[in-house]
Amino acid sequence: MEKENNRVRDIPRRKFLEMSFKGGILIATTPALLTQLVSCSKGVKASSSLDIDPAILSKAIAKALEKGGDFADVYLENRISRQIIMEESKFRSGLYGISQGAGVRVISGNKTGYAYTDEITEEKLLRAAEVASYVATSGNKVTPAGISVSSRPSFVTVQQPLGEIADEKRIEIIRRADQAAKDYDTRIKMTKIDYNDEVRSRVILNSEGVYLKDELPLLFFIVQAMSDDGKARHMSRERLSRHSGFEIFEQVTPETVAKNAAREAIAMLAAGDAPAGIMDVVMQNGWGGVLVHEAVGHPLEADNIAKGIGAFTGKMGQKVAADCFTMIDDGTIPNARGTINFDDEGTVAQRNVLIEKGVLKGFMTDVLSAKQLSMARTGNGRRESFRYIPIPRMTNTFIDTGKDTPEDILASTKKGIYVQSLSGGSVNPVTGVFNFTCREAYLIENGKKTSPIKGATLIGSCMDVISNIDAVGNDLDFGPGICGKGQAAEVTAGMPTVRIRGINVGGSKA
Amino acid sequence: MNMNYMELTEKLVKKCISLGADAAEVYLETGRNLSVQVLNSEIETIEEASSQGVGFRVFTGGRMGFSHCNDFSDLSLEDTISRAIGFAKLSTPDENNVLTDNKGITRVADLYDPGISSEPMDKKIKMALELERLAMKSPGISKSSGAGYSEGESEIFISNSNGILKSYKSTGCSLGVSVVAEKGDQKNTGDEYCSRVFFSDLLPLEKIASSASARAIELIDPVMISTQKAAVIFDPDVVRSLFGGIISALDGQRILQGASFLKDFMNKQCASPLVTIVDDGTISRSLGSAPFDGEGVPTRKIILIENGVIKSFIYNSNAAKRAGTVSTGSASRGGFSSLPGIGTHKVYLQPGKYTPDEIIKNTEKGLLLKEVTGYGVDPVTGNFSGGASGLWIVDGKITHPVKGVTIAGKAPDILNSIDMTGNDIDMNRSFSAPTVRVAGMQIGGK
Repeated sequence: MEKENNRVRDIPRRKFLEMSFKGGILIATTPALLTQLVSCSKGVKASSSLDIDPAILSKAIAKALEKGGDFADVYLENRISRQIIMEESKFRSGLYGISQGAGVRVISGNKTGYAYTDEITEEKLLRAAEVASYVATSGNKVTPAGISVSSRPSFVTVQQPLGEIADEKRIEIIRRADQAAKDYDTRIKMTKIDYNDEVRSRVILNSEGVYLKDELPLLFFIVQAMSDDGKARHMSRERLSRHSGFEIFEQVTPETVAKNAAREAIAMLAAGDAPAGIMDVVMQNGWGGVLVHEAVGHPLEADNIAKGIGAFTGKMGQKVAADCFTMIDDGTIPNARGTINFDDEGTVAQRNVLIEKGVLKGFMTDVLSAKQLSMARTGNGRRESFRYIPIPRMTNTFIDTGKDTPEDILASTKKGIYVQSLSGGSVNPVTGVFNFTCREAYLIENGKKTSPIKGATLIGSCMDVISNIDAVGNDLDFGPGICGKGQAAEVTAGMPTVRIRGINVGGSKA
Repeated sequence: MNMNYMELTEKLVKKCISLGADAAEVYLETGRNLSVQVLNSEIETIEEASSQGVGFRVFTGGRMGFSHCNDFSDLSLEDTISRAIGFAKLSTPDENNVLTDNKGITRVADLYDPGISSEPMDKKIKMALELERLAMKSPGISKSSGAGYSEGESEIFISNSNGILKSYKSTGCSLGVSVVAEKGDQKNTGDEYCSRVFFSDLLPLEKIASSASARAIELIDPVMISTQKAAVIFDPDVVRSLFGGIISALDGQRILQGASFLKDFMNKQCASPLVTIVDDGTISRSLGSAPFDGEGVPTRKIILIENGVIKSFIYNSNAAKRAGTVSTGSASRGGFSSLPGIGTHKVYLQPGKYTPDEIIKNTEKGLLLKEVTGYGVDPVTGNFSGGASGLWIVDGKITHPVKGVTIAGKAPDILNSIDMTGNDIDMNRSFSAPTVRVAGMQIGGK
């Protein structure tokens, strides 16, 4: 899978974070060890070290807090992944992976100590606990609570478990998608199809006594289609993803996914140069929600707020957006790609209203930022794998449904750009300045969608964009993505059709 | 555990064959990393770990399968290999599925600093704290987003059934800081980092700090410009935003698939004669250098574009065989858990003769670009569009900062209108380039 094509990139230009924390150079020297960015896939459950006696985990917690500290947790993970790649109608390879390990974390005041190990043994866990305890040199000391086996509601139901699916069935899905894309139009010259499924098992024990275990299946299916008519060329993309069993392909057929990709590839062959400058933008419902994911969601993650540098710092309870704008992060939407049951710190997932009718109502917190801000934990403490500390992350983030019809929104827009789908974007969470790139877009002339235009970058600042949304449709929908913030997280972004007045469009036409 | 990984790697190739593979490759990696983040003169996070992993690429009847795991017990290794062999049966046979038999190793000096790990932890923490303090000292800087130090070392072992067995060790360390300048409602961030193979080569803290603060301050009080066509001068730090997609368009696999706007340009002029681009994985003491690539093929210096003419595409073994040529040593590997792809080691754009000041002085009207956002050049279509900030130039002088504008164009037009290149290249950057001026680009403003 080409990571460039599938990531909702977060802060690529914040070189400091890239280079010094989890990337750049370290990616260059120890790539996989630090960045398993796109190792989605699936499997059968093998014998697992996750069955380790919880008493050993308790010992690790006690060791972690030996020198002091306010909180400690142990996180065990086993991920079995499966990927099948088809390019140019050939099955290039199947990839099977097993990854397991454990991380121990200590929080002491504002400090976090973290260490992880690939080997889940008492010796290695105690060693990790000792390393993590390095940060706790003074201050508080808590006594770990006894283990209490906890339960959380599940928002993920599975009818056809991935472990019971024969690989031939997976192959068949890919073949059907390839055929459907090629049958759509002779100008479809190539497809790239990437099938991924995985089962991630987690065990969490923390110093508050919370002990949790669960297993999350995830399926991710990506079809890219390339059109070429001798004059122009376009690579399109369509994705399908849910925490689900194999029944997903009965709900959305591989043909549907492939046809959507092929349709975009053909439509964009006729694309002309985009205009440049500030104009009105109507965005189609669905994955376009990545606009608010980037522009508003990231700045509402509580880590930057706790540091006192986030764009929304000090604005709680204030009017920050237009009256028609309500934004929600909901980790409980049944089977959605961003749904998590409980976050990777054990906090139950919930529906968090972030902005209600234009008023700032909530931030998304993890254990540390909730403590720093004296706020409740919102179930947003997520981690890419045991190799990463949990940080505040989004789940399923969307603009709530409005009352306008999509037809009226378009018809009442004289001139502008109609954005049907986006590749992705990024934001600087401190300044709130964002950008995102159109995949499929059209000119709006006299309230009508007219000629297609080439992928332009749209830019703006988060405060401006949420104040300038003046129409919200009644057609809420979602799309799947991978969000990057030094580490990857599976998310959905959603919205109804919306109109934003005055966005700067990066076109090349004078 | 002091396992002999060299022996293990070789043994695992034999295991793949005995379990039924016709040919096999084992890629094993071990590593250690440390990272320290500080914020407001306090430690924020310390992370430390060591890890390992192994990836198996097996072939049966020309079909390829792949699997990986990070548990080195005999049982787990054998199970993982069997998975790869089982998966290979699902693939389509491909005559281009070949493994290298090149036993050569390119000699590249100084990729490993044995001293990094023996530098005391307290010293590394103090460096990060001092870096933040220095960056905060500048007038106009009001907040810190944090500073950090990180280091990593890894050892890579590769062996295949053609009898190759190679390994190398590498290190890297990095210092970075990010600060915020505020004035009224305005906020601007400035970041700087320094990454090196050797700890002792890290730049003085003052230098990193002052560069971060200068970046935060220089874009305060911007003035919006109107939509127009004007010269765009790319600062060395943002040249990558333009050339990243162009390098992708030279990927041999893309070329074969017809998914590159440069597919028909071999030995043809695609850019101004000022453009010479080199990928060199053999530079000593340089991040990105390696004695061999992700398949074990020795690295070499590749001239990609010379005086504007495309001289080479980049290939791994599979794409090279399909194209009827040889691998350029460009197999990239996202680590033990991924198949070999195609990528570069250390790309640089040949410097020109002008100082950055001379380029500014010779610009009647234009934008000195400091930040670019967005995806850069689309390697399929050559379309370029991004968000931009920088400094506005009128009659050879910087007049005011500019923020919130867009720049766009088509890569062939942009490449051909590069009319000045600077002499200010820093070869220590991961993508090294001098200042580059494009004669005219569409700028979107008010």
